[in-house]
Amino acid sequence: MIDFTLIFRILVFPGFTFILLLTLFCDWMERKIEARLQNRVGPMVAGPGGILQPLADFIKLLTKEDITPREAKKTVFKFAPLVAFTIMVFAFCFIPVDGASVLSVNGFSGDLIVILAFATIANFLLFLAGWASCNPYGTIGSARVLTQFLGYDIPLFLIALTPAFIAGSLSIATIASSQVIPFILLAPWAFVLFIITMQAELEKDPFDVPHAESELVGGLETEYTGAKLAFLHLTRDVQVVFGSALVVELFLGGPYGPVFFGASWFWYTLWFVLKLLVVVTITEYITCVFARFRIDQVLSGNWRILLPAALLSLMLTVALVTWVYPLVV
Amino acid sequence: MTDIKTWARVKSPWVLHFNSGACNGCDIEIVALLTPKYDVERFGVKLEPSPRHADVLLVTGCVTQQCAERLKSIYDQMPQPKFVVAIGACACSGGVFEGNYNVVGGVDKVIPVTAYIPGCPPRPEAMLDGVVKLLNALNPPKAKKQPKPAKEPEVAKPEVVVAHAAQPVVEEVKPIAKQ
Repeated sequence: MIDFTLIFRILVFPGFTFILLLTLFCDWMERKIEARLQNRVGPMVAGPGGILQPLADFIKLLTKEDITPREAKKTVFKFAPLVAFTIMVFAFCFIPVDGASVLSVNGFSGDLIVILAFATIANFLLFLAGWASCNPYGTIGSARVLTQFLGYDIPLFLIALTPAFIAGSLSIATIASSQVIPFILLAPWAFVLFIITMQAELEKDPFDVPHAESELVGGLETEYTGAKLAFLHLTRDVQVVFGSALVVELFLGGPYGPVFFGASWFWYTLWFVLKLLVVVTITEYITCVFARFRIDQVLSGNWRILLPAALLSLMLTVALVTWVYPLVV
Repeated sequence: MTDIKTWARVKSPWVLHFNSGACNGCDIEIVALLTPKYDVERFGVKLEPSPRHADVLLVTGCVTQQCAERLKSIYDQMPQPKFVVAIGACACSGGVFEGNYNVVGGVDKVIPVTAYIPGCPPRPEAMLDGVVKLLNALNPPKAKKQPKPAKEPEVAKPEVVVAHAAQPVVEEVKPIAKQ
């Protein structure tokens, strides 16, 4: 007996199609916000308000010639972008969108750790993709990716534990559903730290040293063309959406909000997408406002400031969970 | 399917800018295209850092002996379908540097050029106009997937002449101030 509901959930609604559309929409919104902050108009011609611009870029890249350089390590060069994209989408499947995640209603205890690990693996695959292209700019770019994400993964994990401590669970669904008061109010410092770390993890300004155009041409994407480039771009965009979704689940109360009438899944999806767009706006604002750090500043900022701050935040949270929050909540 | 392909190509031309020996006048005008006033991102045009990502190669300046092979190799690195736009009088024909001992001539001496935008330097509007015309030349022939070499006359003239020959006819372009 085939479970059609499950297939529908995986392929269409909170699954693949939904994630793809959300990603393309967020990409368009990012470009629009960036353009408006720079006093420009942004994409305007493709579709109403240029909303189909990311789709046009994607299709165009898919139909372009696919070049594999002679020196490149062929297998890794070909498959790393695709596998990275697959892993990011799979990680997204654990995030509750309409009150439940794609795969199951409650996830399992510990899926927070699993999806953070998936995000790390996807980053590592991006590094491999650049490394396999055997281009000087590509290898420097991917070496920077590695240096940066090794550093910033540790604070990211530590700060992601803050909501887990308050909720008393490592399951995302439980963390999201236990936020009667959103954790952004209970632990605002953790929210700020998480946003900063996420910027670094997603390689957005001010931490976008791995693909600094003025120094590295295209960073790890330098040698990529056609469909492979399309999937590299898409992986980056899914990473952005995934990071924002993680913030929504951990700090903004997940998909839960008031249900006014009708089906609850509709309202939950609506709240989820609205909260996600707020987070995307915040991160894009940071991206536009700040200039790029040097790689040494990024690293010293990580090890000297962010890591101790993450540890302090964790200690503070544990103390508050033990003595203060029982009085409040 | 072909329609969608063409639509995507027309809506998202990513450009790479190459200076093959220009005086920087045209280059500054190209950079002006990206500023808030002209904002070519409206049309989906993005300035890409790597030739591997680009669809359109914007070449400025006459081609010097040294730059010729570099220009050729940059062109070869671009994935198909690709277009070349020669920007400025020098790129179209060599301009005032025509016949100089170290100058090969216009861009079309080295690589096939799809569109010519004369001017010294052409205004950003002229470049926009040229790129839009180039992309519109992709649109009408539905059956053909091959890029069509479009011929740009003086920008002031209202209609575009689309040359259907595989090789662009060099003689038609008589850029400004050729002494």
